[in-house]
Amino acid sequence: MKALILVGGFGTRLRPLTFSMPKPLVDFGNKPMILHQIEALKAAGVTEVVLAINHQQPEVMLNFVEEYEKKLDMKITFSQETEPLGTAGPLALARDKLIDESGKPFFVLNSDVICEYPLLEMIEFHKNHGAEASIMVTKVDDPSKYGVVVMEKEETRVESFVEKPKHFVGDKINAGIYLLNPSVLDKIELRRTSIEKEIFPKIASEKKLYAMVLPGFWMDIGQPKDYLTGQRMYLNYLRKNAPGELLASSGDDVIGNVMADETAVIGERCLIGPDVVIGAGCVIESGVRLFGCTVMRGVRIKEHACVSDSIVGWDSTVGSWARVADVTVLGKDVQVADAEVIQMSAKPEIIQKV
Amino acid sequence: MGNSTEEKVVAVILVGGPTKGTRFRPLSLNIPKPLFPIAGQPMVHHPISACKRIPNLAQVYLVGFYEEREFALYVSAISNELKVPVRYLREDKPHGSAGGLYHFRNLIMEDNPSHIFLLNCDVCCSFPLPEMLEANRKYGGIGTLLVIKVSPESASQFGELVADPVTNELLHYTEKPETFVSDRINCGVYVFTPEIFTAIRDVSSQRNDTATLRRVSSYEALQPATRIPADFVRLDQDILSPLAGKKQLYTYETMDFWEQIKSPGMSLRCSELYLSQFRLTSPQVLASGDGTKSAIVIGDVYIHPSAKVHPTAKIGPNVSISANARVGPGVRLISCIILDDVEIMENAVVTNAIVGWKSSIGRWSRVQAEGVYNSKLGVTILGDSVAVEDEVVVTSSIVLPNKTLNVSVQDEIIL
Repeated sequence: MKALILVGGFGTRLRPLTFSMPKPLVDFGNKPMILHQIEALKAAGVTEVVLAINHQQPEVMLNFVEEYEKKLDMKITFSQETEPLGTAGPLALARDKLIDESGKPFFVLNSDVICEYPLLEMIEFHKNHGAEASIMVTKVDDPSKYGVVVMEKEETRVESFVEKPKHFVGDKINAGIYLLNPSVLDKIELRRTSIEKEIFPKIASEKKLYAMVLPGFWMDIGQPKDYLTGQRMYLNYLRKNAPGELLASSGDDVIGNVMADETAVIGERCLIGPDVVIGAGCVIESGVRLFGCTVMRGVRIKEHACVSDSIVGWDSTVGSWARVADVTVLGKDVQVADAEVIQMSAKPEIIQKV
Repeated sequence: MGNSTEEKVVAVILVGGPTKGTRFRPLSLNIPKPLFPIAGQPMVHHPISACKRIPNLAQVYLVGFYEEREFALYVSAISNELKVPVRYLREDKPHGSAGGLYHFRNLIMEDNPSHIFLLNCDVCCSFPLPEMLEANRKYGGIGTLLVIKVSPESASQFGELVADPVTNELLHYTEKPETFVSDRINCGVYVFTPEIFTAIRDVSSQRNDTATLRRVSSYEALQPATRIPADFVRLDQDILSPLAGKKQLYTYETMDFWEQIKSPGMSLRCSELYLSQFRLTSPQVLASGDGTKSAIVIGDVYIHPSAKVHPTAKIGPNVSISANARVGPGVRLISCIILDDVEIMENAVVTNAIVGWKSSIGRWSRVQAEGVYNSKLGVTILGDSVAVEDEVVVTSSIVLPNKTLNVSVQDEIIL
């Protein structure tokens, strides 16, 4: 089977992290974001993945692809648009890579999405209804923030899409995971097209679009606040399904769900967690408090500092007694001075190198 | 002039009362402002111990209108400690800065002093009292004022004066003028001969009621002239201004530091000045440590002997820690005053702040400010029994007593 991942643009909402790393390779749960999706696709039987991009990829991305093609025994290629094609155009562009004689359906994923990826169940679902396209939908509390998928009564067939509805029409939104028959490609022209506004409504009107409700958690982690919420959900998921990935609560120092790479070193009299991810080679000195935060590879957090609700970028240093709070994002190699306080909500600014 | 070894000197320190020093709230809600600790000692201790350097000091009087019992304990303790007779005299009603002196003239003159010092207790300076005494003897007038040069912009907050550069005679004096008069100002420290009482008596017996240039408020304008009691005499307007230029009053200029402790933020600044003075005059009073047996101490720090500070804490510069305070592991204190019975838990940071009695500061929390001493929120003030919960950040704020903070605050006055 084949799959297309809509990798898209420059990841501006995750700056300054994306100044140093292409967005698909920004770590989430100590693993490049896109690897979560590629591994899920592999587990569902996908052997070929096309990455739809809109600009030349840096060497680090090419190296990643080369490494994981070998490791996962999959074919990973790029499809680069030279002009904006929207959310559906890239599928037309990659047509030749997605279609083969087998006539099997192919997956399309949005790269910012994190969830449990029940892709085998989705394949079953798609087979059962035998129609043209399946999409995953997820239930949310505030649907008006998104595009709502309106289902036909008591059916799994999709009736229509409504963008940011003013009054309640339903609580399911598009989760950004599709399973499409090759015939869908015949409906997409090679120009800027929206899959939600043009393609899916057409298929829905032909009564050939079905929606499966995504079990478990779902989050679009393309911006820092949601990234941290997604991290919390992901760690919670691991607690239930793969508790070995998390740190065992050792004495008073580790509380709740904490993931730490085995090469990370944690000092004494710390209080770590809940909802913390610590990357490879990190040094957490004594007396440190970490709460609801991400500490990327190679970071040193010095004594008595406190980091909460924030992301500390690769190789940075947070000084003794410093305070990083309130959805602060520190980029790569940022030095926070001793006793300094950084709270983004007070004075939003991008800090790249102090 | 007589044998100087027989000439006695009396010092009078004006301490004010509950209606004065309201700008010092919330710190003065619990304790009279003169007893608030600066560099580990009550504010009034500093002028009193300066008086000790005066040759032939016979008595120190504290004059104010607080209740006697507020000062009773302090006065007997300080008399014992400094081996100087100190007594608190309560004014039954406000008499003004000169009237108070006059009101107790009989007591003051009991020892037949040749000179009387008058000090304001909220002045922070090096108190060059022996030098002022010498100078006054030389000039031969009825009094000498301590003066200091300040920046022209800030001079209008004070009493501005003009002195003769050769004779040091006080030529002109005006309180808080609207336009610039001079950059020399009145420090609030004076030495007088007993003739001052005659001068005060003469003022109260012929009250001058010519209109002044100063704009009066409606309230003031509606007060009939007879309402001002005859015995209410203000030193600045009623004595210094009229006597200027009559070869009666002289000036002595100090080149050292001088500040007024009007607001809580300024007490942090004055604590810093007095701590650095201790470094020169009595360094054994200051704390030291290198992190092995006791906490690392940087710069000038005072730690009360009954306070407990964990060896992994780092204290200073400019920190005062009062009795029974407990400072936990990994705490960082910079430029702050920690009052009695405060508990600071692990890894907290306090900088540019005053933490009130019995308050508690949670783990990894921060109490901080920019450190601009005379701006309203330039130093964070926590009143007594304030609880800052774990990880909370309190920035540039004033928190009134008995408040618990469980969310971070910035630039607020929390009632």
